[in-house]
Amino acid sequence: MSISTAAPLARDTAELVADLVHRLSEGLDGVDAAEVAGPVVAGVWPGATETDLRSRAIEIAASLVVREPAYSRLAARLLSRHIAAEVADSGIAHFSDSVRHSHREGLLSDGVAEFVATNAAALDALIDTEADDRFGYFGLRTVYDRYLLRHPHHRGVLETPQHFFLRVACGLAESVADAAELYALMSTLSYLPSSPTLFNSGSRRSQLSSCFLLDSPRDELESIYDRYGQVARLSKYAGGIGISWSKVRSRGSLIRGTNGHSNGIVPWLRTLDSSVAAVNQGGRRKGAACVYLATWHADVEEFLELRDNTGSEDRRTHNLNLANWIPDEFMRRVEADAEWSLFDPKDVPELADTWGEEFDRHYRAAEAAGKAVRTVAARELYGRMMRTLAQTGNGWMTFADVSNRTCNQTAKPENVVHLSNLCTEILEVTSDSETAVCNLGSVNLAAHCTPDGFDFDRLAASVRTAVTFLDRTIDLSYYPTPEAEKANKKWRPIGLGLMGLADVFFTLRLPFDSPEALRLSTRISEHIALAAYETSAELAARLGAHPSYEDTRAARGVLHVDHWPDARISEPARWERVRAAVAEHGLRNSLMIAIAPTATIAAIAGSAECTEPVVTNVFKRETLSGEFIQVNRYLVADLAARGLWNEDVRQAILRAEGSIADIPGIPDDLKLLYRTAWELPQRALIDLAAGRTPFIDQSQSLNLFMASPTIGKLSSMYAYAWRSGLKTTYYLRSRPATRINQTTVSVPAQAQVPSAEAVACSLENPETCEACQ
Amino acid sequence: MTLLDPGMDLTLRPMRYPDFYEQYRAAIRNTWTVEEVDLASDLADLAKFTDAERHLINRLVAFFATGDTIVANNLVLNLYKHVNSPEGRLYLSRQLFEEAVHVQFYLTLLDTYLPDPEDRAKAFAAVEHIPSIKEKADFCFRWIDSIDRLDALRSREDRKAFLLNLICFAACIEGLFFYGAFAYVYWLRSRGLLDGLATGTNWVFRDESCHMNFAFSVVDVVRREEPELFDDALTESVSRMLDEAVACELQFAEDLIGSGLPGMTVPDMKSYLEYVADQRLARLGMPTRYGAKNPFGFMALQDVQELTNFFERRPTAYQVAVSGTVDLDEDF
Repeated sequence: MSISTAAPLARDTAELVADLVHRLSEGLDGVDAAEVAGPVVAGVWPGATETDLRSRAIEIAASLVVREPAYSRLAARLLSRHIAAEVADSGIAHFSDSVRHSHREGLLSDGVAEFVATNAAALDALIDTEADDRFGYFGLRTVYDRYLLRHPHHRGVLETPQHFFLRVACGLAESVADAAELYALMSTLSYLPSSPTLFNSGSRRSQLSSCFLLDSPRDELESIYDRYGQVARLSKYAGGIGISWSKVRSRGSLIRGTNGHSNGIVPWLRTLDSSVAAVNQGGRRKGAACVYLATWHADVEEFLELRDNTGSEDRRTHNLNLANWIPDEFMRRVEADAEWSLFDPKDVPELADTWGEEFDRHYRAAEAAGKAVRTVAARELYGRMMRTLAQTGNGWMTFADVSNRTCNQTAKPENVVHLSNLCTEILEVTSDSETAVCNLGSVNLAAHCTPDGFDFDRLAASVRTAVTFLDRTIDLSYYPTPEAEKANKKWRPIGLGLMGLADVFFTLRLPFDSPEALRLSTRISEHIALAAYETSAELAARLGAHPSYEDTRAARGVLHVDHWPDARISEPARWERVRAAVAEHGLRNSLMIAIAPTATIAAIAGSAECTEPVVTNVFKRETLSGEFIQVNRYLVADLAARGLWNEDVRQAILRAEGSIADIPGIPDDLKLLYRTAWELPQRALIDLAAGRTPFIDQSQSLNLFMASPTIGKLSSMYAYAWRSGLKTTYYLRSRPATRINQTTVSVPAQAQVPSAEAVACSLENPETCEACQ
Repeated sequence: MTLLDPGMDLTLRPMRYPDFYEQYRAAIRNTWTVEEVDLASDLADLAKFTDAERHLINRLVAFFATGDTIVANNLVLNLYKHVNSPEGRLYLSRQLFEEAVHVQFYLTLLDTYLPDPEDRAKAFAAVEHIPSIKEKADFCFRWIDSIDRLDALRSREDRKAFLLNLICFAACIEGLFFYGAFAYVYWLRSRGLLDGLATGTNWVFRDESCHMNFAFSVVDVVRREEPELFDDALTESVSRMLDEAVACELQFAEDLIGSGLPGMTVPDMKSYLEYVADQRLARLGMPTRYGAKNPFGFMALQDVQELTNFFERRPTAYQVAVSGTVDLDEDF
């Protein structure tokens, strides 16, 4: 196993790849081509092909990213060549060739093929050959591994990343100019539609929507089984599912037909669990669903245990996510340390379809009438919710009353928001005959910001294009169920979100919890909302308001922002113009803004996820395509500029799991700027979210972070979130109590038994002391 | 009284070794179950494996089939007997449970990967019939047997023999054989393969790290209490033992990867094992021996925080035991 035993042919090939590495390293500061080329040549093995060795070079370059972020660019350039070679192997040179091939293999629709064939020369000319260079390695790898169309049999890719972007654009375009407009946004990584659109645009079954929300089945067998069928059909085409179960009778409830007693909701959810796991989304990712249960439902305690690791497997659902749909009355009783009554929906069916004061009235009447199955201390139940969050990250806290009160769709009492979705950013009305749908996309704030400032004008332009195309997906999408099609064509909601907020803060050097960060974040959200509402009103003028416009609060002159008297408005005159335009033309879309988690598309764009702070400054990303290391490139640049980016500092950051808080020699201003999510006050995350809320007519996927959660800290935090007016929260992220020994970070030479002092500290403060983690 | 004095100490208050108790509590907080691991996608990967990759994974599964059982046996037969501290024994009881979960995980893995009952039986027979695995097993058995006759640690020599057994299982078996095996798993993962195995391995890896840390903290305590045991002869024995372990694991590597696979060659494996062995020596406060560097970039991945994409994987980071009561005015 050395050069001497490798065939001479393989050695020549290795030299060829080494040359390529040297050529592609040009212009990359900090990259030493020999660091990659050397091991490729030295490690050549018999029979190694050019493809093998190029892959090897990519792996080596990627492994050096932790030392110097610029290696990510080199790895991406190598991968870009790799992909180009693979595409060329199928005889594809131009975009139009790619579409023709994919169409011939049955992957694309006739419509797109025809559109591209008709406009081949013009479209081929749109391809920006330099655009791949904007990718980091991980973004490009994600595109290559998961998004590019592949030959059904030999599995080679049939399009380059730029072909892919243009194909997605053509799938949504009505003209070449249209396609050019959207392609320009995508190729500059300024805006990306959500994964279902990226997967399916232009395909034969173009299901373009990200999420579906189903109302609870009615309290009868046929309705429950009908819901399973709907969930399966929606899952099959890559949709995430939110489903309420609040209307199904609780354990011990009498079943009249058989004179037996119900086993409650758990056995039904077990079936749902299996069904969700069985239907994998187009073979690409596992199905995913979140079940919402109202906090007054008598099975709520068993519901909270569904994800526990201990206890009877008969009562566990490992694939379902769980969320609490919480009325304000519950939170008020937690505050007052009062009692809370639990009901069987069969006895009090009106609770599931009401909210706010009407709900409160029904709830108190049911209590007075002695209909409660059981009564518990509100704080005891709240404590159990907190425990579930700490132990599983699940059991998301979402607030029913504010979600309904501020929703544009709930002007008429029969239209009720019953739940949020898989990622807690969608809030739309549902009913037995209407399954809410949302088509998502996110602007990448990082691409709109330079150290000189944030480009609001370009952001507005990006938003206008994004809204236009999101609106179009409603007409082009394939709907797996009639309930989904009916609802979406009636309400035409879209969910425009954002990503890369943390990149903006780093670029402009604003600590996450600074007043300037709060001001800028709020202003950006206001700006996005304004541009979106302006565009939707323009679309309404051109194409008509959405069919149910008369049923909305907007039709009554109330916009979402009006529900928030404390909103920080910076452009009042522009809001007045929007109001006038809406009054004149209506809105094309009943809802427009939702901040989704952007997990995968942020990876493609190479930016921080949605509005999140960074979890660590050095982290690996796990995806279906393996694990990747990512370094906070802003931090590295700052350290390098001050001559502090060296082996010792790098080791220290790795040892500290991506934190720089306790590393001697790093200046305080950097320590402040680069605090991780674990080190930031969570109050700041909530305040930022609350500042945005008036400009978000749906909601936002807000993760909260606590390294060592306790019930006390969590209960204070979520009560604060509720009081701050947040509609929904998402995962609680905590850290493992024990961890893998670091294999590649040097250990201090002599190990010591912890000193008596350290032990005493850990015994007194087991939750906060580092010694216990 | 010292930790290795013979007896069955029952006193938890005052607690002599609170650090052991804290390690026990931390372990409880990280409970996982085999049912959480989804091996379904692995089958699709296995169908695409080349012969060389298939050989590697079959050998690996055969090693895993018996590896944790051997560790559990030594724990019951030797460690529990001689670590005379109830809080230390609490940790060992917990460790025994974790070993059981690992055994169950690898059994499930084997049943999933090898549908044929005969192949399954063969995997378990590997400790007898496959030379590269037998050699590792023999190494383990030799060290289990080395203190088999001791029912109490009375003399200095007894205690040194016990220390060698303890260090062998921590540094060589959990700390080197398993680390070798994990490297293959993470190498496959770095190529996007066998995601289910890698997920379970993450959790096993985390547990094994803790077992090793516990064993080393026992060594630290003994060093503090009986420094005279740590003489040159002991250092020499440990050093020789690690040498043997590296050689043992290396011949296993030669069987597994033969003339090499992309990114995984015998010389690289050798550097990696020597690098790991140096880490163990350093942790024991003994002079390092090899001066090797870690050639596996993908192992560096294990050192950094996981950012799970929640659509695709279950995060491995949640805690099991949480304390406290509802309070609305706490700082957070």
